[in-house]
Amino acid sequence: MGKKVVEIENLVKRYKELIALDHLNLAVEEGEIFGLLGPNGSGKTTAINCILALLYFDKGSVKVFGKEMQPDSYEIKRQIGVVLQNVAVFEELTVQENIDYFCGLYIQDKMVRKKYVEEAMVFSGLEEFRKFYPKKLSGGLLRRLNIACGIAHKPKLIIMDEPTVAVDPQSRNRILEGIQMLNKEGAAIIYTSHYMEEVEQICSRIAILDKGRCVASGTKEELKSMIKMGEKIHMEVMNLLPFQIAEIKELRHVYQVEYQDGMLEICCSGGKHNLVHILDYFNSREIGFGRVYSELPTLNDVFLEITGKKLRDSAETA
Amino acid sequence: MFFRIYKYSLLRSTRDRLMVFWNLVFPIILGSLFQVAFGNYTEKEVLFHQIPVAYVKEEGADGNFTELLEILETDSELIQVQTVGKDKAEQLLRDGEVEGIYYNKTAEETDGQAEGIYDNEPGKETDGQEELGITLVVQEQDMNQSILNSILEQYERTCATLLTIGKEYPEGIQEAAKLLEEDTKYLKENSMGAASDNGILDYFYSLIAMNCLMGATTGLLCSVEFKADLSALAARRVVAGHSRFQVLWPDLAAKITLQFIYIVFTACYLMFVLHVPLGEQWGFLLLTIFVGSLLGIFLGFFIGVAGRMQYSMKEALCILIMMVSSFFSGLMMDGMQRLVEQYAPVFARINPASLIVKSFYSLNIYETYGRYLQNLGTMLVLILVLAAGSFAMVRRERYASI
Ligand SMILES: Nc1ncnc2c1ncn2[C@@H]1O[C@H](COP(=O)(O)OP(=O)(O)OP(=O)(O)O)[C@@H](O)[C@H]1O
Ligand SMILES: [Mg+2]
Repeated sequence: MGKKVVEIENLVKRYKELIALDHLNLAVEEGEIFGLLGPNGSGKTTAINCILALLYFDKGSVKVFGKEMQPDSYEIKRQIGVVLQNVAVFEELTVQENIDYFCGLYIQDKMVRKKYVEEAMVFSGLEEFRKFYPKKLSGGLLRRLNIACGIAHKPKLIIMDEPTVAVDPQSRNRILEGIQMLNKEGAAIIYTSHYMEEVEQICSRIAILDKGRCVASGTKEELKSMIKMGEKIHMEVMNLLPFQIAEIKELRHVYQVEYQDGMLEICCSGGKHNLVHILDYFNSREIGFGRVYSELPTLNDVFLEITGKKLRDSAETA
Repeated sequence: MFFRIYKYSLLRSTRDRLMVFWNLVFPIILGSLFQVAFGNYTEKEVLFHQIPVAYVKEEGADGNFTELLEILETDSELIQVQTVGKDKAEQLLRDGEVEGIYYNKTAEETDGQAEGIYDNEPGKETDGQEELGITLVVQEQDMNQSILNSILEQYERTCATLLTIGKEYPEGIQEAAKLLEEDTKYLKENSMGAASDNGILDYFYSLIAMNCLMGATTGLLCSVEFKADLSALAARRVVAGHSRFQVLWPDLAAKITLQFIYIVFTACYLMFVLHVPLGEQWGFLLLTIFVGSLLGIFLGFFIGVAGRMQYSMKEALCILIMMVSSFFSGLMMDGMQRLVEQYAPVFARINPASLIVKSFYSLNIYETYGRYLQNLGTMLVLILVLAAGSFAMVRRERYASI
């Protein structure tokens, strides 16, 4: 167990009637990429604003680098890099000037800053656009500038709130790789997203948020082992009869069967040879079938099983 | 760090074309339009239009008053006296050639004679003290007439005493004239409309006042970039690991600098290109402009940090205040100040644009700085109130919602 970089205990935050954070507990350790996964309105941004001491909260405590976080914890703040959900750059400054401005709020040494600004531009792939004003940048490039402004000063803790919204898959991969690179250089990262693929790809530990509560947390393997589902098998089958479906349900490890428009979906818990058993059944009954494929559970399934609803429309991701 | 943020702040403002237009180009265009509208004029005409008055002096009447009028005409250039006969005087008054008639009679005859001159005229008569036998007849009561009246009153009040010992103090009349001059200036300033006299210059002063108050929109921007619940930019600056104010000061300083430069530029354009005689006391002119800029910026900053209105609403409010304030300082209408002074004296005394206009005005007409400093002082108090109010409102560093 590494040292704790961020510790949130029993955090409660209300907006009038609405409880945005409901006794939230989180701990982020050194060297981690910590994913905060949750659907829209689950309280990710609120949690981050609380960590940064921008918001009052009703209960609980927030510690960063082992110390209570306060608005005037300047020492702590100086070691944090923040990429907020909303793009925050100056319209009247060019890409390079923007990065220099924000980097300059942390780094006073001119030579060091120059180097850092240059590195941040390379990192975000904005070298060619250094003389551009934000207005002239595409949505994705603007996001990248937003990120560059937040990380140029090489902070020890980086907090990113959905930095890849509206970014094309190529840029996104580049950003994700960049984040992993920053992590390798020693920064702990808190990364919020509702794209589970992203989170799955880069995060070493994940907390799933729903309605302000942390419904599950752990490594992705841990999360997946938490749920009943071990494997999901899809088959194209024509004209399956109800009694056959009932028979399939009786097979070992199978706990849920859905049949719709010629697509059969079988959820199995654990077990190694589920597919073999099922195919045996189809062969013995001489039922014809088309394509067959098997899926391991995704975070979406984890979320679905824990909260009873879909994390998000998976068609959204590329 | 201060200097770098300051520099970037300057850079950003100068690149904001809309801001540059409103703060620099617009006043110059408006000034030029005023110039086209009002044409040429000399400083004298602009500042003091001498009040024409007829003077009917009887044989053996009090000569001291004659002397006073002479001083007021030649030295103070306050009035323009035509010494004429009674009939001619009445004719002049009827034709509007003069604003009033001073009758100076031998003391015994005073009673009865002055009355009933205009039995069928709407004229108004002000009786002088009987022993002195001086009366004033005017056609209607307004600014100039009240100046004429105050000359008479002053003469009665002060001169009478001075004159009784006049032999020993021949400078008595000089002193009386001096007093009168100050009095009159006060009268004029406070009814500023002083319409026919200095109305034209008022337009230009108001223009500069408006330019100062335009700083409000700039101040508003400062507040938006300062309070984390107003913009993501502000949030980003707040989490950067410095006291919020360390980033605010250079920002404010830059905005004030720029506003000051803009207005100085406008003023220079008015003075050297359009030849508008704004005054010659450079130091004080600059000081006024500087304090005016401060006032504008802090007004905007205050509006920005107060309440939870939307930005566009706040911006509209800034512009509204600027327009209303300038309007009542006489930007668009002659004699506006006088009306305000009459019907809303308190407002007249704290209306930022009026204060700026009055500061310029009092610089121009008084030899002493009392009035000027009073106006400047009021402005400073306003700034202090706005600043204190703003900082009271931004004491909190966390927000209930963002
Ligand atoms: N300023 C606010 N005033 C009132 N309610 C708010 C405010 N900000 C957020 N909320 C509410 O708090 C809840 C959590 O919002 P939050 O922005 O933290 O969600 P999120 O997980 O960041 O969502 P998203 O993925 O859309 O960014 C939501 O129900 C939202 O409606
Ligand atoms: Mg959010």
